[in-house]
Amino acid sequence: MKREQKKKLQAYWFVLPALVFFLLLIAYPLVKVLVDSFQYKTLLNPGQSAFAGFANYLNVIKGEYFSTALWNTVIWTFLSVAGEYVLGITSALALNQNVKGRGFFRGVIVIPWVVPIVVAGMTWQWMLAPDYGIINNWLVNIGILDEPYYWLGETDTALLTVTFVNIWRSFPFYTISLLAALQSVPKELIEAAVIDGAGIRTRFFKIILPQLKSVSLVLIFIHIIWTAVNFEFIWIMTEGGPLHASETLPIQIYRLAMKEFNVGAASSLASIMLVMMIIGFGAYFLITTLKRRNIKKRSEMT
Amino acid sequence: MILNKRQRFWTKIVTYAVLLFFAVYCLFPFIWMTVTALKPIDEIRSSKPSFLIDSPTLENFKNVLFNTGFLTFFKNSLIVSVAATIITLLISIFAGYALSRFMRFKGIKATGGAMSLSQMVPPVLLLIPLYVLMQQYNLLNTHYSLILAYTTFMVPLCTFMLKGFFDSVPYEMEEAAEIDGCSRVRIIFQIVLPISIPSLLATSLFAFVNSWNEYMFGFVFINDEAQRTLTPGITLFKGLYTTDWGSIMSASVLAVIPIAVIFMYLQKYLIEGMAAGSVKG
Amino acid sequence: MKKKYLFTLFICAISFFVLIGCSSKSKSASSGGEGDGKEQVTLDYWASWNPGSVEEEKTLAKIKKFEEEHPNIKINVELLTFDMMHDKLIASISAGNPPDISWGLSEWFGELNRMGALLDLTPYYNEWSDKGKLNQNVMDSLTVDGKVKALPQYLGIRALLYHEDMLKEAGYDAPPETWDELLEMGPKIKEATGKEAFGITGTTVRSSQELLMYLAQSDVSIAQKMDDGNFKNTWADNPEEMKRATETFQFYKDLLNEGAIPEDSKTWGWQELDTNFAIGKYAMNVDGSWMKDREAENPDEMADVKIAPPPYNTKPATFLEVSPLYVYGATEHPKEAWEFASYILSEEWQSDIRPTNSPRTDVVSDSQWGEGFTSLTDTGVVFPEVPLGGITQAMQDSIARLLLKGEDPQDVAEWLSKAINEDLKKNGILSE
Repeated sequence: MKREQKKKLQAYWFVLPALVFFLLLIAYPLVKVLVDSFQYKTLLNPGQSAFAGFANYLNVIKGEYFSTALWNTVIWTFLSVAGEYVLGITSALALNQNVKGRGFFRGVIVIPWVVPIVVAGMTWQWMLAPDYGIINNWLVNIGILDEPYYWLGETDTALLTVTFVNIWRSFPFYTISLLAALQSVPKELIEAAVIDGAGIRTRFFKIILPQLKSVSLVLIFIHIIWTAVNFEFIWIMTEGGPLHASETLPIQIYRLAMKEFNVGAASSLASIMLVMMIIGFGAYFLITTLKRRNIKKRSEMT
Repeated sequence: MILNKRQRFWTKIVTYAVLLFFAVYCLFPFIWMTVTALKPIDEIRSSKPSFLIDSPTLENFKNVLFNTGFLTFFKNSLIVSVAATIITLLISIFAGYALSRFMRFKGIKATGGAMSLSQMVPPVLLLIPLYVLMQQYNLLNTHYSLILAYTTFMVPLCTFMLKGFFDSVPYEMEEAAEIDGCSRVRIIFQIVLPISIPSLLATSLFAFVNSWNEYMFGFVFINDEAQRTLTPGITLFKGLYTTDWGSIMSASVLAVIPIAVIFMYLQKYLIEGMAAGSVKG
Repeated sequence: MKKKYLFTLFICAISFFVLIGCSSKSKSASSGGEGDGKEQVTLDYWASWNPGSVEEEKTLAKIKKFEEEHPNIKINVELLTFDMMHDKLIASISAGNPPDISWGLSEWFGELNRMGALLDLTPYYNEWSDKGKLNQNVMDSLTVDGKVKALPQYLGIRALLYHEDMLKEAGYDAPPETWDELLEMGPKIKEATGKEAFGITGTTVRSSQELLMYLAQSDVSIAQKMDDGNFKNTWADNPEEMKRATETFQFYKDLLNEGAIPEDSKTWGWQELDTNFAIGKYAMNVDGSWMKDREAENPDEMADVKIAPPPYNTKPATFLEVSPLYVYGATEHPKEAWEFASYILSEEWQSDIRPTNSPRTDVVSDSQWGEGFTSLTDTGVVFPEVPLGGITQAMQDSIARLLLKGEDPQDVAEWLSKAINEDLKKNGILSE
């Protein structure tokens, strides 16, 4: 028992530095955000604030573009993560083959990930421009398009285009992680399957994919969070426009805080977003643990 | 070995086709950046954009290297990123180890929960509070402010990554050392870490890239030209009315190439390192 | 073995960087100096010229000269783009440590003033010998309740820029003077050159500046100062004004429907507007004198560009962008800050660095890039001195509602009027 106590103390010492960082630089500002969300507070009248109750929350939710931003956040996050995963697994499978120049290809695939977001955003914005952008120029020359299309300027395509660029930038992280996981899939497993006469498709879905399950879940989990809270990409490429067509919740938070100086409203919108994410992930974990427990119970019963 | 000859042939063709596609997809913007960087000013914004250059020039690179603060920015980015990476790693090693071995304690579990929570906070929102905090502690305009901010946002993920890796290190080895009376810290440094080198490398590369590319805190916390980092430095070429694309692009190419080279060189370790943790995830 | 080697390397790297990694120093704001008995003062100056430009070279030389003449003052320059500067200013003002002097957009004047961030320059200004040399129209826009709250450092007046050759090709010797003429020229230019006659913006800061100008050309403003000192958009109270505002939106709609502007011009930002004009994708637009810099990038296409007053509806008007020099109230050295700020406005500085776009009436250049713009100063309109973040967004949205969603011009005018008043109300400055 005493040894266990000692271990406990030691464990706490180990997480202490991480905890200090968290408390000081995240939790403390976060508490401030929560407090501010119940205040009428704007940077334009510094020093003046008053208790607002839920007024900020109501105003934010009633805002004309709240539902658009919420929906956009969902689409942006879902499409980004889905696209990244598909590209990630395809490239990882290809890179896992024994072909010449594998090192080169592996190096090349990492490049989008190491280009700073600001630079990537500006470069793509230029390449996608209707009249002097190389992409439109090519598409017209090849004959796919009759005339240049303003990808970032039309309400239908603005968000999708930014999503496309975001996928371009983020998928390499999937590639590396999935490739790593693929390499630890035991060869014997696949060989055994071949002997059993499994085709390529069966091998992929029945053997490889299940082996990648835990990595995939972690990857997707992290990226859902990161994508949902991402702000830079959209801001740099469209500033949320045209007519709020690519505005997500973080963009709206930024606009409220830094353009309209309404700290109270920005804080309440941020709190709403945080609570939604906590509920989402909380529900997911609850369901999976319940499932696991059920399976355990059932196997214990038999 | 497991495929017949015809199958093997086709697999190879498909593999190359896929790899080629990805190479083009990934490199396309980067090549555009490089080509632009090599163009003279009257070819950059032409009405007929093209990958061909009539009269290539190194003028943009020269300008960026010798007439601007690029080299200072580069050095600053290097200092900040390396320092943030190392501190992150030190903190995450202990935290990750604790999460891996002592999850049974409630406090440790709570810490893990708090860390995943911290990932859900949009950094935009913490900008002003963090700025005020940095100012109170007189850290604005120093590399410390950035190192602290980057470390804060990186520790949770690196901790989880390392936890995954440590999970795959068998506990029996440690038990033996424990019985011999080794201290826990010595166990970590002498037994666990040496066999986790590739994982440490993977984690630190990850932390490094994220600090290297960070933009917002970089420009808000630093007022002093001499302390400024690379990404805010590059965006400076984007004026209000006219953008100096030649300089932006050559600065970006110069910023990307070293990192890309490091990755190409270390990718074997990187993948090996990620693989170590991925068995359990 | 190799792993052990890597590990040692790793540990070495850690200790190495922990030691040297954080050797950065914080700047010292002011230190007790000897000099000529005066206190040593460092002024933080945030500016936004292009790094590596001629402007930078000249400016730094002038700053050096200033420091030599004032050995107790040191100017600490920081270069930032306007986007970066805005966010940094907001953060630093809320933390109570803004720079001493900065550049900025005229759109920020209202907000910075409301935040109480700006120094009252009136006493210094009244003592200043060059006081009468600044354009009155411009100074008015930086004066609130009789107090001078900022100084103009250069003017970004907008004028009509046109590719003369394209107009000639369509048989026109002169640019349009009114909206009607412009709309009429649209199809003819398209027919003769295959290119559109005009360009507008629908996004970024430029679009609200343009809309402000087009509204002024119909003789309406977005918000007026009322007798109680607060502001209000009066369109809804006054059917005549609403009618004129509607005409403005109708003009936007006509431009698009009659093919006078390229289809995607409706969501162009300033980069698209400027670049497409520079590469000769369309014939005319309303733009600023910075377009001269594009001559270097597109020498052939820009060769035939000429300048004229913007076409108007009922009243000649243009957007007068006053680029302010903000001096912050939190400065510990207001006297020295003024000293430097007034040097920036001196004839010596202005004629060297701002020969074509100076707010001084005695610095005028004969070139079309100078006179062509400064001669329009009297017709210039500016934004009212209210916080504009929400209002400029509403103005952008109104263009999008009109051109993207195809809403009726009258509805859009009514919507914008309401949106502006709501925003004023939020900020507590709506006149009831």
